[in-house]
Amino acid sequence: MCIDKEGDFMEKQNEDQYEVTISRLSKYYEGVPVFYNLNMKFLRNRVTAILGPSGCGKTTLLNIISGIEKDYSGKVNLRGSTISYVFQEDRLIPYLSVYDNVAFVLKSTMKKDRIDLTVRKFLRMVELWDYKDKLPCKLSGGMKRRVALARAFAYKSDLLLMDEPFKGLDDRLKSDIIKKFLMIYRESARTIILVTHDKAEAEKLGDVIYSLD
Amino acid sequence: MKISITVETKIIKKLFILIFWILVWEICSLFMNNSLLLPSPFEVLKTLIILMGKAYFWKSVFNSILRVIIGILLSIAIGIVTGIISGLNKFIEELLGPLVVTVKSTPVISIIIIALVWFNSSNVVIFTAILICFPIIYTNVIEGIKSVDNYLVQMANVYKVKRKYVVKDIYLPSIKNYIVSGILMCLGIGWKVSVASEVLSTPNYSIGLNLLNAKTTLETSELFAWTIVIVILSFIFEKIFKYYLSRAKK
Repeated sequence: MCIDKEGDFMEKQNEDQYEVTISRLSKYYEGVPVFYNLNMKFLRNRVTAILGPSGCGKTTLLNIISGIEKDYSGKVNLRGSTISYVFQEDRLIPYLSVYDNVAFVLKSTMKKDRIDLTVRKFLRMVELWDYKDKLPCKLSGGMKRRVALARAFAYKSDLLLMDEPFKGLDDRLKSDIIKKFLMIYRESARTIILVTHDKAEAEKLGDVIYSLD
Repeated sequence: MKISITVETKIIKKLFILIFWILVWEICSLFMNNSLLLPSPFEVLKTLIILMGKAYFWKSVFNSILRVIIGILLSIAIGIVTGIISGLNKFIEELLGPLVVTVKSTPVISIIIIALVWFNSSNVVIFTAILICFPIIYTNVIEGIKSVDNYLVQMANVYKVKRKYVVKDIYLPSIKNYIVSGILMCLGIGWKVSVASEVLSTPNYSIGLNLLNAKTTLETSELFAWTIVIVILSFIFEKIFKYYLSRAKK
C-alpha cells in the first residue's frame, strides 16, 4: 500500500522523478517468500517511509537496495551511484574515535582539509564535536546513533537509507534526534528511504509512506 | 604505601618460588650424587660465571640472538602479509593450504636436515625458524581476519571505502591481538628451534655449537649453563616485547 501525503504521487509518471525503482522483486529465505513480485518507486529528494511490522522484510529490502543482499530476482534501478546507510546497529568502528569514524567514510572521496571541514560541520550539527576524540565504547546509545547519523549525512550520497534509526531511544532523546535529523535534511536534501514500525514516525517524517505487511 | 606492599609481596613470592625450585634441584643433585648426570645449581652457576668472562661466550650469544631475531622478524612479516591476503581471498587461502599443512606436520628435524642440504650453516638456522614460526603467525592472522565484524565490512562496502582503508582501520586493529599472541608463541618456539638447528648445523659462534661441544666433552655443568642462558634470553625477549606492547597501548 502506498500513501502519498501530498496527493500527487500517481501523477509523477516521469521516470526521472524517481531515485530508486524496484520491479518484480522476489526474495526467498529457505523457500519462504519475503517478497513476491514487489514493485516500488522512490521519489527523488523526498523522504519515503516504509512502514511494517517486525519480520516483514523491511531491512531485507534496504539491504537489497544497498547491494548488501544480492540473492534475489527482479530489478532494482538506482539513478545515482552513492548510498549512505544508517543501519539498525550503529556499526561504528570500535578502534576509531568519533571524529575518525565519520572521516572513515570520507577518506576515499575527499581531500584531507575538506574532510576536516565536513566532519567538524556535521559533528557540530549533532552536538558531538566535544566528543570527537572519544571512542564509541565511551558513548551512550543516543550518542552513537547521532554519530551514525552524522556519518551518513557527511557522506555526499544520492540516496540515504535509514533502518529504524530512532529505535530503542527514549522519547526525549528520540524527539531531540528527530529534530537534528530534520535540521540536517534541510541542510543537505537527498532521497531518503526510512524504514520504521512506528506509524507516528512515518507520518511525521515521510512525504510518501509505503506499508508492507 | 599499600601499592608498595603489593609490589614487594609479589617480588618476595617470585623469589621464594625460584629458591624453592633451586632447592629441589640441589636435593635431586645430592640424591643422584653424579655431577655428570645432574650437576648442582652452584656448580652450574660457577660454570656460567666463568663462561661469561670469555669473549666467545658473548660472540656466541650475540650471533644466536641475531639469527633468532632475523628468523622471527621474517616469519612475522611473511606470516602477516600472506595471512592477510589469504584471509581476504579464499582462492589464495586454498592455494597455500597444502603448503602450510605440510610445513606444520613436518618434524623440525626433517626441516633442519633438508635445510642443511640447501643452505650454509648460518642460513639453516634462519630458514628453520621461518618455516616453523611462519605457519603460527599465518594461521593466527587468518583467524583474526575471519573474526572481523562483518557488519563493519558491509558498512565500508556500502560507503565504497577504498580497500586500503578497510584493511588499515577495520582488519588490522581486529587482528592485532591474534598477531600478538602469535608473536608470543614464536618467541618461545623460535629459540628452541634455532638452537636445535645450531646443534645440527654448527655455525661458528653459536649457542647450539657450544651445547654440542659441552655434550661431546661431557661438561654437563656447561651444558646446563648454556641451557639456562637460552631460557634467560627467551624470557628477556618476551619481557621486552610485552614492555613495548604495553607502551604502544598507552
